[in-house]
Amino acid sequence: MRALVVLTVLGGGFAQATVAPALRIGDVLPDLPLIVVALLALRRGPEFGCVAGFAAGVLQDAAAGGLIGVQALTKALAGFAIGLVGGELRVTQPLVQVPGLALLTIAEGLLRFGLLKLFHFGAPFGELMLYVVIPQALYNGFLGAALVLALAGAETLRRRMS
Amino acid sequence: MKIRRFVLLVTVLLACLGLLTLQSRGYGARAADALAFVTTPLQSALAAIPRGALGLWSSYLDWKGVLVDNRRLRQENQRLRVDALWVTDAVDENRRLRRLLELRNRLPVTTLAGEVIARDWGGWVRSLTINRGRGDDVRRLTAVISPEGLVGRIVDVRPGASIVQVLTDPSSTVGAHALRTRTPGIVEGDPRGTIRFKYMARDGAGIAVDDVIVTSGLGGVFPRGIPIGRVRAIDDRGSALFHYALLAPVVDFARVDEVLLVTGEAAPDLTTAFLVKIDD
Repeated sequence: MRALVVLTVLGGGFAQATVAPALRIGDVLPDLPLIVVALLALRRGPEFGCVAGFAAGVLQDAAAGGLIGVQALTKALAGFAIGLVGGELRVTQPLVQVPGLALLTIAEGLLRFGLLKLFHFGAPFGELMLYVVIPQALYNGFLGAALVLALAGAETLRRRMS
Repeated sequence: MKIRRFVLLVTVLLACLGLLTLQSRGYGARAADALAFVTTPLQSALAAIPRGALGLWSSYLDWKGVLVDNRRLRQENQRLRVDALWVTDAVDENRRLRRLLELRNRLPVTTLAGEVIARDWGGWVRSLTINRGRGDDVRRLTAVISPEGLVGRIVDVRPGASIVQVLTDPSSTVGAHALRTRTPGIVEGDPRGTIRFKYMARDGAGIAVDDVIVTSGLGGVFPRGIPIGRVRAIDDRGSALFHYALLAPVVDFARVDEVLLVTGEAAPDLTTAFLVKIDD
């Protein structure tokens, strides 16, 4: 598990540092660590999602230069939650994946905003949601679904090859 | 199992809240420093990997680009060299044809332009083949000239070509005189590829080096006044009957590419038409 957590965190951080800028549409960047944490939490369960989310969040907090612990907390909760309810969802369906990841992003955004408000974060809620959280949520939804499909395709191919 | 799961969650949440509390109470700098101690090398490594990969990829693309550019530039260079040769050749040909046309316009006789298509440069025969023949109404013994002077005469006419016996042919003879002194004689070719002016005058008739020798018009084959050559040396045989002057031909037979065939019946004096050339 430790190795997988390290790989997840490093992979997510690496992807966020390298791939995400290339995937930018306008000003909207996907939250790749969140997608990776969610996808792995679905497979490995809430404990894994929690630890991976925490580690990935800490790394993102440190990289962003803001309050350390905000994204660690939100992503840990998100990873835990998705790992917990993942078994109840038909996550192989894109119709579930897209809105699921979008809702998860929005929930994580709301939580982050709430936490930051405790520390006198000044940005207006409406604009933040309209221009940052919701576009990113939609992007995460579609990108995550595409990633799931790609992984499923690769797995099928691997089975056929073996 | 479920309790353990929630204990983990609570621990993580407490750790996060603890971090946030520490930062809000002014201990944030130490906590951030401690975290940065771990995360900065990690971030540097993460940043270095794509940078290195991109650098490698960029170098590969540059190398590939340079290779393609090199190949393209080589081909372009080769094409431009060929083009330059064509241009040089075309300019040269243009210059020659202009001079030929100028001469043609100056001459008081009708002429026919021809192009040299072959050369026979052995010691026995020295001739040029031109692309004018029976179809162009070319006749034997027609005088062949170039802007510089006399080239020779037609000795054989074929359906699409004619053979020109050049002055340096060993069997070529042309009636001539020195332009300055009017000393008459005969210009003959010799096997060495030079021409000599053979004249019958005991005292040499005042011929000097650099005198211009032109056709005399006697015999009716060549019009009068076409430059043949300049006296290069005088061979004084003492009591011999004939004296010789070695001539430098005014025409470079090895390089002549376009000629004029003097087709007119009349054979006027052409000295003035070539005067500019002679003065040069």
